[in-house]
Amino acid sequence: MSETQTLTSRELHCWSCGAAAGGAHFCPSCGKIQPLPPDIDYFTFFGLPRRLGLDAHALEAIYHELSWRLHPDRFAQASEAERRLSLDRAAQLNDAFRTLRDPVRRVEYLLWLSGRRREGETRQQAPPELLEEVFELNEVLEELRQARRNGGDGTAASLRRQLEAEQQKLETMLAAVDKELAEAAAAWDRALDSGAAVEPLFDRLNQILNRRSYIRNLVENVRQELAAD
Amino acid sequence: MARTVGIDLGTTYSLVAYVDPETGRPQVISGPYGTPLCPSVVSVDPDGSIVAGEAARRRLLTQPDRTIYSVKRLMGRGVEDVREEQKLFPFRIDPESTQVVRVRLGERVFTPPEISAFILRELKAWAEEHFRDTVDRAVITVPAYFNDAQRQATRDAGRLAGLEVLRLVNEPTAAALAYGLHEQQRGLVAVYDLGGGTFDISILKLISTTEGDIYQVLATCGDTHLGGDDIDNLLLGIAREEIRRQFRVDLEAAPERIQELRRVLIRAKHELSQAEQTRVVFPLDGSVYERRITRAEFEDWIAPIIERTFGPVRQALADAGLQPAQLEEVVLVGGSTRLPLVRRRVEQFFGRRPHTELNPDEVVALGAAVQAGILTRGAQPMLLLDVTPLSLGIETMGGVVAKLIPRNSTIPASAQELFTTGVDNQTGIEIHVLQGERELARDCRSLARFTLRVPPMPAGMARVEVRFTIDASGILQVRARDLRTGQEQGVEVRPSYGLTDAEIERMLEESIEYAEQDFAQRQLIEARNEAESILHYTEKSLASEAAAELADDERTRIAAAATALRQAMSGTDYKQIRRLIDELNQATLPLAEHMMNRVLAATVEGRRLEEL
Repeated sequence: MSETQTLTSRELHCWSCGAAAGGAHFCPSCGKIQPLPPDIDYFTFFGLPRRLGLDAHALEAIYHELSWRLHPDRFAQASEAERRLSLDRAAQLNDAFRTLRDPVRRVEYLLWLSGRRREGETRQQAPPELLEEVFELNEVLEELRQARRNGGDGTAASLRRQLEAEQQKLETMLAAVDKELAEAAAAWDRALDSGAAVEPLFDRLNQILNRRSYIRNLVENVRQELAAD
Repeated sequence: MARTVGIDLGTTYSLVAYVDPETGRPQVISGPYGTPLCPSVVSVDPDGSIVAGEAARRRLLTQPDRTIYSVKRLMGRGVEDVREEQKLFPFRIDPESTQVVRVRLGERVFTPPEISAFILRELKAWAEEHFRDTVDRAVITVPAYFNDAQRQATRDAGRLAGLEVLRLVNEPTAAALAYGLHEQQRGLVAVYDLGGGTFDISILKLISTTEGDIYQVLATCGDTHLGGDDIDNLLLGIAREEIRRQFRVDLEAAPERIQELRRVLIRAKHELSQAEQTRVVFPLDGSVYERRITRAEFEDWIAPIIERTFGPVRQALADAGLQPAQLEEVVLVGGSTRLPLVRRRVEQFFGRRPHTELNPDEVVALGAAVQAGILTRGAQPMLLLDVTPLSLGIETMGGVVAKLIPRNSTIPASAQELFTTGVDNQTGIEIHVLQGERELARDCRSLARFTLRVPPMPAGMARVEVRFTIDASGILQVRARDLRTGQEQGVEVRPSYGLTDAEIERMLEESIEYAEQDFAQRQLIEARNEAESILHYTEKSLASEAAAELADDERTRIAAAATALRQAMSGTDYKQIRRLIDELNQATLPLAEHMMNRVLAATVEGRRLEEL
């Protein structure tokens, strides 16, 4: 978290009693729900350090506990202002949980937070090591479409089997990339813990994410093509 | 203290329920016909008065052009959307309709929320009669797969009926709440909800925490135009075709007859859930259409309709990342799940026997009541975490949709987006919000358009942050903030298929006007009825022996008062009628006295006889 943000959070005062609330969910003094600080990040919201290794069960437990306290149902009888604050906080809680519980989105988010990745960025250039695979796949897809147009059922069936084999291959590659991502994420946490520079890891994580997104798109295309039958 | 109820505003039937404070159990409220099922039918009388429920349903046969059913199919939809519906349903869409559909009933024109509001008012009246207390707040259920416009239309209907809508709850989720209270279920649950007009599937995870039970929806999917109506229309199509072939009779020109036939066929459908076969008998001019339908034949016909439900079921499971066999419980909701074929297919699909313990017609209303109890009194330690059924996005360059909130996100959910200007001195940025899963804006559902105001400055300098929030009812809220000034900006969202606040205000005013008119109408009817009975009683009394004791002027006074009352009865001034009823009452006092004396005398005589 940046210095300036910490400062802003410290300056936040309770809208109801005026006590220092420091950006917490509830005022430590009067217990009223507090507005969201403008730039609060998902890790801070959950009270977690910016680490990539997160225990799924622990995260879910925090999520449930915060849901009980922040959900608009709990404020149905409260003032209009408090209902609105609860809506904002609960929405942020759900958005944060959706992002943090997914190991891939978690990395994307951390990079974005560090100014190293723009949201939704996916490089559509094929990574060099995938070029051969992509070429092969496109060939099969093209032949399959051609065969369908010509009504060649026999050819289509054999091409379909070929495509299914390609799909298998892609799924295996996806699993490998996920493993690679997990290793890089662990390296990030280790660097944080030992006080080493995390800078070199940004590029590595970005590359893995780009490759992953590319393979995922291929998997999706093949899946749709197979489902079209 | 005013009460809060839970309402299931259904396609075919609507119900109202509440949580009994003594037992903590939800309970449905029965209406004047002794059943909790209120037909979702509204009818407009030639005199302008409106009836809803069973009374309106009876008019489907006598006044089909003044009566409407299945209006839920029109909620939140545009004229273009309902073209198909018009072939199957006798909706008379007003040709003047622009984006929001307007329906013609007799001389008057209504929007679907106004019509739904009449059904809600009827249920509100049932509940008020039951409690002998006012009801001003409600939780109303909607199909899980309803989009933003359909949800807004439902909330508008509540508002028009004088109800503060505390929350819209998804029907399958409500059912899960009711079942959870009933069975104390845990784990992964699928709710399969096939109603009169809509189909929903929801996958839930029930979690026990130290604070209480969390009902977390993992995924939902559905079809807002798939239900028992489709089966009825299919049967109707078959029967009409057979009638045309066998008797050369086309029922097209006789909407009353079609409604009659529809009723006969619905009865046959119900019978086939119990019996192996049924007989349809429908008299025609000079002949009779008669036909035996076996269950096997019926199931052959409807199988394609039932199969359509499994597309959304597979999608929801895939979104939740689950296989059918992983579900620990399956719950059936909605009247159409009484069909044996549905039960068999669901059991086959999930590999386990589905729950049917709670009445499938009532379970959604019971769940709505539970949620109403949670919201008003914190009655149950339960928390509902529902999802948005459709992805939310905005239109970008080239008509492509940028997704901001993916489908099946837990609600409330939000997304922020930063906007800037593309040309120098541009003062407005147009935003188009959409809902749907497709890539292109034209394939998605348009929700709303709005314009962000910016002061003139060089291109790219403006910085407006827009926050899109889907609230716990699944309805979109938009807020904008100028990042340079930190000022919040009011965003006037023009709903693409909904009513604006101004329109609702106007309707509310009108409905109050009409309410006054309706009130006067009711007063008139009551006054006439009362006049009728007092005139009848007076006549009878004048013919009795006691009348002989009347003085001439007394007799003249009665006759004059009776004549005046009779004349007033043909008018519409109920106050005048009331005044003349009082006058006649006064005039007949001496007559009543004579009669009373005779009765007393007779009693006394009787006593004497006994004493002897």
